[in-house]
Amino acid sequence: MKLSDVILWIFTIAFFIFMILPIAVVVVISFTSAGYAAFPIPGWSMQWFARIFEYQPFIDSLWVSLKLAVVATVASCLLGIPAALYLSRSRSGWATAITTFLLSPLSMPMIVIGFASLFFLSWLGFGISFLALTIVHTVICLPYVIRTVTAVYRSMSPAYEEAAMILGASRFTTFREVTLPLIRPGIAAGCLFSFLTSFDNLPVSYFFGSAQTNTLPVVMLAYMEHQFDPSIAALSTLQLLLAVVALLIADRLYGIEKMTIAT
Amino acid sequence: MSDSVPMNAKLRQAMLLAPALIFLAVFFVMPLFDNSMRSFMSEDGGFTLSRYTSFLTDRFYLGVIVETVVLAAAVTVISVVIAYPVAYVLVRKAGRLSGVFIFLLIAPLLTSIIMRTFGWQVLFARRGLVNQWLVTDLGILDVPLRWLNTPGLAIAALVHVLVPFAVLSIASVLQGVDRRLEEGALMLGASKLRTFFEVTLPLTMDGIGTGAILVFMIANGSFVTLVLLGGGFQTLPLLIYQQFNTTRDFALASTMSTILLAIALVCLWLQLRLVRRQGA
Repeated sequence: MKLSDVILWIFTIAFFIFMILPIAVVVVISFTSAGYAAFPIPGWSMQWFARIFEYQPFIDSLWVSLKLAVVATVASCLLGIPAALYLSRSRSGWATAITTFLLSPLSMPMIVIGFASLFFLSWLGFGISFLALTIVHTVICLPYVIRTVTAVYRSMSPAYEEAAMILGASRFTTFREVTLPLIRPGIAAGCLFSFLTSFDNLPVSYFFGSAQTNTLPVVMLAYMEHQFDPSIAALSTLQLLLAVVALLIADRLYGIEKMTIAT
Repeated sequence: MSDSVPMNAKLRQAMLLAPALIFLAVFFVMPLFDNSMRSFMSEDGGFTLSRYTSFLTDRFYLGVIVETVVLAAAVTVISVVIAYPVAYVLVRKAGRLSGVFIFLLIAPLLTSIIMRTFGWQVLFARRGLVNQWLVTDLGILDVPLRWLNTPGLAIAALVHVLVPFAVLSIASVLQGVDRRLEEGALMLGASKLRTFFEVTLPLTMDGIGTGAILVFMIANGSFVTLVLLGGGFQTLPLLIYQQFNTTRDFALASTMSTILLAIALVCLWLQLRLVRRQGA
């Protein structure tokens, strides 16, 4: 191996240590037997996972976050899939402009979306409620569904649908029997990103905090400001586990390669 | 064919688009518009630019805008410089390992910002792993260093969040580079280094641009890392957060969000120009 290659490989390995180390440390600490968060750990235990379930705000907010992520994802699909179907078959200039607009929430600072929405939704009378939180989360999740479904549907030949129509299938039957099965990987990828984005969101949810609407990240942030114990590590590990499981299920069902086309 | 589509079919198609379009017009555009309007509204309800004039002539606030942009730019430059060699190894050298690399690159994206911050706090605590290495194991230092609340660690944490985006953008463009162009340069007697700087690097400029804009955009709006890890930065998102929490001057916060939004819109415009050029 040449010297330049050796240097490149050392750099790359150092890079991945940098990427993985802070995360791996948190996973290890969540299994600590100590009463404080420090690495290396003196021994192994599951006590901090048990602690999560004793602290009511964690449980309540976990429930809020799960409900919110599911509802925002379903809403994003209902709004986003029809729009994506229409936009991917249209080549005109304004269709491109509209696609850009529908994806633009991804490019705006989250803190501005959160701050502005709080005032606007209060003015509309939604106040700080689960509904208000769902609306704002749908705004930030919708672009993911539109992006992945558009990408998959665009790569698919219209011939399949034309064939079904020529053979006498109605518009609805064609959609249900041909289009839907073909775009399913795109929908799955969109749902996955949407769910994870909503579940992990802090900068938007932060502005809609109340006893009924505190999400898990908001409660974790508040907890961290007062205490620095391994229960945050245990929660983070559970959250990572959830994300990995979701990713593996999606991979099993549709194949990760098919879904990465969609991104 | 589209000319022969009857009017009601066109209408039916438009109905597919309408819900998403209306939803974002009402719940995305209007809040941002309403927020900007608030920054232009004087106490008695009239129009005023006074907040902007006082904001842009105040040394402190002007400094905040500069610091926001400089911090985002610094994070962007560091991310791109780190990302390039990694993307190069991923595309050209990794071979069968590339799947593992992509997994290691995506896995951190699945973790929450709180988890990463927690990791940094533990690693760089006064009696943390890093100080232990430096003082006890390697003996480089006599006393443990204070890492937390330093600008360097906050920047490292931001780079940690954003560098995967840069790697993926550069890798996707690097993948499309025609190897024959490089081979041609080498055959004509150019050194490997010269081939890289005069052939490979210029061909991947678009990937660098896409990645850089993406990183800059996210860095520009991020504040959770800075809230938790400190570093003494005074940036627009951080000040909006403080205004909301403690000072509660909402008109000032609206002014700052509008400026932040303007920076984001400039980035979006640059991004679209780059995409259009790639398409052409």
